[in-house]
Amino acid sequence: MAEENTRLWLMFPARLITRPIVWELAMKFPVVTNVRQASVNEEVGLVSLSLTGERDAIKASIAWLEELGVKVEPVEINTIEG
Amino acid sequence: MDRNFFSNLKCRECGKLYAKKAIHVCDFDFGPLEAVYDYAAIRGVLTRQLIESRPQSMWRYRELLPIDGAPTVGTQVGFTPLVKADRLAKALGLRELYVKNDTVNYPTLSFKDRVVSVALSRALELGFEVVACASTGNLANSVAANAASAGLKSYVLIPADLEQGKVLGSLVYGANVIAIHGAYDQVNRLCSEIAGKYGWGFVNVNLRPYYAEGSKTMGFEIAEQLGWRLPRHTIIPMASGSLLTKIHKAYKEFIDLGLVDKAPFSVHGAQATGCAPITHALKRGTDMVKPVAKPQTIAKSLAIGTPADGYYAIHSMNQTGGTAEDCTDEEIVEGIRLLAECEGIFAETAGGVTVACAKKLVAAGHIPADESAVLCITGNGLKTQEAMLNQCGAPRTINPSLREFEDRIYQPDQSAVAH
Repeated sequence: MAEENTRLWLMFPARLITRPIVWELAMKFPVVTNVRQASVNEEVGLVSLSLTGERDAIKASIAWLEELGVKVEPVEINTIEG
Repeated sequence: MDRNFFSNLKCRECGKLYAKKAIHVCDFDFGPLEAVYDYAAIRGVLTRQLIESRPQSMWRYRELLPIDGAPTVGTQVGFTPLVKADRLAKALGLRELYVKNDTVNYPTLSFKDRVVSVALSRALELGFEVVACASTGNLANSVAANAASAGLKSYVLIPADLEQGKVLGSLVYGANVIAIHGAYDQVNRLCSEIAGKYGWGFVNVNLRPYYAEGSKTMGFEIAEQLGWRLPRHTIIPMASGSLLTKIHKAYKEFIDLGLVDKAPFSVHGAQATGCAPITHALKRGTDMVKPVAKPQTIAKSLAIGTPADGYYAIHSMNQTGGTAEDCTDEEIVEGIRLLAECEGIFAETAGGVTVACAKKLVAAGHIPADESAVLCITGNGLKTQEAMLNQCGAPRTINPSLREFEDRIYQPDQSAVAH
């Protein structure tokens, strides 16, 4: 299966801000993580992340992040407008 | 136009320059790309007289729009009325108020025709034969209509649970309307994948730097129609926050080019309480926007829980001394009625948000009674009639009898009745 690259914005709720989620993700799934930008305050954490791997691994990574409560958006953040 | 003043795309985060292709984010930090121009060259060419000599459309400012040649799509879009709203001014407690009335924008009755005409004109220059968008309303209608008139094939992606009335406004133009099942987040990511995979011109994805610039024309027109001056306050509805940042940019460009005198101006943002992530961040004193997981408001065209330009909108408001407000669904309905009853303008729910928030900004003293203000009204009320159902009473019904008319409806002053 060919490797794919996906560009995402992750938005962490306050309760997950201190958890090393990007490290956990790389340990749990066969994907390469590459952080390009990040900012954190007491209410929300934002991380722009490039994920490289097989399609199924990327999909499983996203599903795991969402299950934890991380909001996962495409690089555009929002493609659907009014 | 003899010369081309549109020079590059530029990352808003790191400033890296890119060629003028169908790309929208920086390779390095994923920051959004924005059009930049050769302002020094424009300064020597663009004058008030030149602009005034051109046809009354948004393209009279074409040196400040990101296309290389003459516009080819939506050549009649824009230059909507700037209405002096004296009755509404009185109701809000202001002396000088105007309504920028994009409820009558051509051809699909919303400000989206501005952004779409730029995106599709650029799409043709870049050689696209298929254009697309993901939308729940106004954007879909505008892409479908403008693509039809340009002879472009169009795909409109919508969530599967969208109301039929909104779907019809795209289907009628012969667009390929694709309804997608699933939660909003899943639909959003699929649209991004489709945009990345196929060679389509996706107006709000890979054509976004071009698309977004079209919003500036609303600001240019306001300044010109006010007699080449800026309003002291401009109140702008916020979904992604893009329109507010672009009106700010438009005013700055006009000042920098000497087309208006430098004077203080403030841009203020308006959101619905059920989806007000930008307003809440601004009020908390931060520029980090916390997403709204489940927007709950009748102002569906503003219901973006993760606004892409929220950070930049907050900076625009802070830089200009502006602020933001939010309003409830009841206040939105009241705002729509107030605008309709005072000025004869029927706006969609986003217009109700703008009016209701303006009222709050005046009451709180953020807009002093003796300073000029403009309300940006971005879409037509005929598109969101469901919001006003059972809100305006019902017609009173009588039989075809003059006696019944006089008994039940109208009792004339006898002395005034003609014989």
